[in-house]
Amino acid sequence: MATAEKPFIRQDGKDKVTGLGRYTADLDMTGMLQAKFRYSDHAHARITRIDTSKARALPGVFAVITHEDVPDVRYGPFVQDRRLFAKHKVRYEGELVAAVAALTNEIAQRAVELIEVDYEPLEIVSDVEAALQPGAPLLHEEWASYGASEDVVREGNDCSRSTILKGDPDKGMAEADIVVKERYVADMSHAVPIEPHAVVAQWQGDRVTIWSSTQVPFIARSGVATTLELPEAHVRIVVPHLGGGFGGKCEFHYEAQVAALARVAQRPVRLVFSRREEFLAPDHRREGQVLELETGVRRDGSIVARRGRLILDNGAYSADAPFFPQLAAMMAAGPYKIENVFVDASLAYTNTTPSGSVRAPTAPQACWALEQHMDSVAGQLGMDPVEFRRLNIVKNGDEGPTRQVFEDIGAAETLERAVELIGYGKELPDDEAIGVAVGWWPSFGIASGAYVKINGDGSATIITGAQECGTGAVMALPLLAAEILGMEPESFSLLYQDTDAGPFDSGASGSQTTFNNGRAVMAAANDVREQLLDLAAEQLEANRDDLELKDGAVSVKGSPTKSVTIPELAEAAHGSTLLLGRGADAVPEMPASDAAGCTGRLGMESFLAPTFITHAVRCKVDRETGVVRVLEVAAVHESGRVLNPIGANGQVEGGVVMGIGMATLEGSLLGEDARQLNPHLLDYKLQTASDSPPIHIGWVDSPTKPGAGGPKGSKGIGEPPCVPTPGAIANAIAQVTGARVHQLPMTPARVWEAMQR
Amino acid sequence: MRYDATLKVNGRAYPVAIEPGRNLLSVLRSEVGLTGAKEGCDDSECGACMVLLDGQPVNSCSYLALQADGREIVTIEGLAGEDGDLHPLQQAFLDQGGVQCGFCTPGMLISAKALLDRNPSPDEDEIRLALSGNLCRCTGYSGIVRAVQAVAEQR
Repeated sequence: MATAEKPFIRQDGKDKVTGLGRYTADLDMTGMLQAKFRYSDHAHARITRIDTSKARALPGVFAVITHEDVPDVRYGPFVQDRRLFAKHKVRYEGELVAAVAALTNEIAQRAVELIEVDYEPLEIVSDVEAALQPGAPLLHEEWASYGASEDVVREGNDCSRSTILKGDPDKGMAEADIVVKERYVADMSHAVPIEPHAVVAQWQGDRVTIWSSTQVPFIARSGVATTLELPEAHVRIVVPHLGGGFGGKCEFHYEAQVAALARVAQRPVRLVFSRREEFLAPDHRREGQVLELETGVRRDGSIVARRGRLILDNGAYSADAPFFPQLAAMMAAGPYKIENVFVDASLAYTNTTPSGSVRAPTAPQACWALEQHMDSVAGQLGMDPVEFRRLNIVKNGDEGPTRQVFEDIGAAETLERAVELIGYGKELPDDEAIGVAVGWWPSFGIASGAYVKINGDGSATIITGAQECGTGAVMALPLLAAEILGMEPESFSLLYQDTDAGPFDSGASGSQTTFNNGRAVMAAANDVREQLLDLAAEQLEANRDDLELKDGAVSVKGSPTKSVTIPELAEAAHGSTLLLGRGADAVPEMPASDAAGCTGRLGMESFLAPTFITHAVRCKVDRETGVVRVLEVAAVHESGRVLNPIGANGQVEGGVVMGIGMATLEGSLLGEDARQLNPHLLDYKLQTASDSPPIHIGWVDSPTKPGAGGPKGSKGIGEPPCVPTPGAIANAIAQVTGARVHQLPMTPARVWEAMQR
Repeated sequence: MRYDATLKVNGRAYPVAIEPGRNLLSVLRSEVGLTGAKEGCDDSECGACMVLLDGQPVNSCSYLALQADGREIVTIEGLAGEDGDLHPLQQAFLDQGGVQCGFCTPGMLISAKALLDRNPSPDEDEIRLALSGNLCRCTGYSGIVRAVQAVAEQR
């Protein structure tokens, strides 16, 4: 059942199709200067001297700043391990050493090149396994003195370690009839929004307004306030249209550096990234992983034990990645019934661009490894891989890897529907095969707020802290309010992505907008609905309990002629009563689990309102060249209840194509100097329209209980669609070639090499 | 050294004085004041900067502005009718879920218009091929392809 019975046109749509909508890089202001950064010249080095005098002397330069020009503050959401500008050391090629503001980009670039920096190069650590070896050079010698959340387990280059333990995995493994052990490696990849980062900052007295291409304006505000030592009330973040994010624009990026430049220059300053900078600098790329997975099964196909050792690449600084090990450990266990589990996951510092949340962080890579491993185990059992999953997938009443008991889930149904949609088992040419993979993903319950105002003419305005990154999640909020108020969604305007206007929201991250802000908007709409009913009771001189609100009017039940419309109520209220609803629904409680034996617990020990997904793909593999072509995808999701089918389908279509890209092409190559060798779209290829196959979408309707999920029993939708795609493609490749590809992305060369082994 | 040129953009003449090294995109976005064409990659890979030059789609980031002197340029701002009515492609992009973040949309619409101008009834493969110079990270292209198909069917 869907809320949107008729096609819903997003409010920002006309602005976007006419080219009139403004994105951050489109903003211009009188006297505005252009910013450029001086990046590190080494991936790992001690700084011995910085001399900015020649840059400062260049005509047209208004500001040159380094660590000396900003407060000496370390920041980071879990571990405070970084500064706005490098002070003693640089730890990756994209680290900032200095920033310049000048009249033009050309002058700013020349000034950046005139800054003299002397270094003492240090040994580079770019391999995650080497980073954790005893005696490996420490990236952060002073790691133990850093401020950090007390739940983060740290030791030297291991920035965050988590374990998941259930039962007795060693005993279980010893009892297994068959044990399969495999190793998989995933390369780092990127979010690649088509809009590169942009920031504009302008001061008015001691207050700064920052227009930023951020997914998380409130987190950006907090970052600016912390690092520049300002009250949050002095920092306003406004996000113009945002040209995609996918996690790459989460966290706090360059708002503070640009604000600091603007303060020194006493002018507005604009920073716009090149595509190359977009690859090198932002601290939010998808982390590489090394995964060792071991599974013990009985001959009947039941899984008796799983052990896993995971090392995730943190990069040089920790951004929001410290919760990844626990999340990846859950992913490596998977949505399967397993009696005994032990997964040990670490997050290793390396001299590379920092990792951070990119669409379903850790999941596509870990699922790719696990789902190949599941097929390998099925192969050893002589069992059909779908049958093996059918036997082990979690159902209502089953326990997860931390003894969370699942309720109201439809995991098994996604498997059945996906194999049906793709025609699993049908006759195919000998260079084609169908691969299947199952994945899961949590919803994130976070506080979030909204207001709903009824305007003088009976139209309404939603004021929300939520951030629109393109998915349409904010655009769909009027659907929820309109239903409660008996109004048309088109009667609502939206004020959003401005930290001075809306209540706190954690931003366009974690697929949380509808899940959390949707509940807040509904609460605000219900609040104002009560006010309308109170007012109508006065106007109609009726008992309030006898009133009903529908189709834009309040009437007395049973006497529809005795009614008053919302515009009439708004007019009556004008000047005497404020019609202003406030909403902030309680955050759903985390499901119970038994995490007594787990370490590094950072909130992922159980999954709130988990989504389950099965993708089944038909692929063609050219045995001569290793080129893989995805011909058709069936994507079936259980996301609770779907509220906006156009929006939800759009997430699946986009996520699947992103997953195909990750599977076949997308990965950064690193040189020996730990520099990215392909930081541009010529050699880091995205999928094009002609690469993208038909996608058959299915939804399993399985709403959560009230209070256990999002509005109307919905779950997060944005991230899950890219989770199982790479694993399904890998399994199709192995079906055709008889060879497993153990490294992601599965480029033609790697597929071909696997066939030669 | 700046050279005088006249850029004819969306039917209006813009006299400009520009250095020979300037690309068309930067002149459109600054001197001409039309920011609909976007810069996504600066090397002709993403297509967000696409405009029509004498009816042909070009990546304006990789085209010298002076080469466009006196020629007819159409940007995304020139697609809607003078009365503000959306071009059928613009409406179809909205109806079919072809727009999410919108950053690729201007270039994508220009590519789609160029295709339908030269081939009013393309099949799906022809549509996908024609749009393969425009990268979209949000939609997986499905909604965009549906939109172009819908307009082609109306014709």
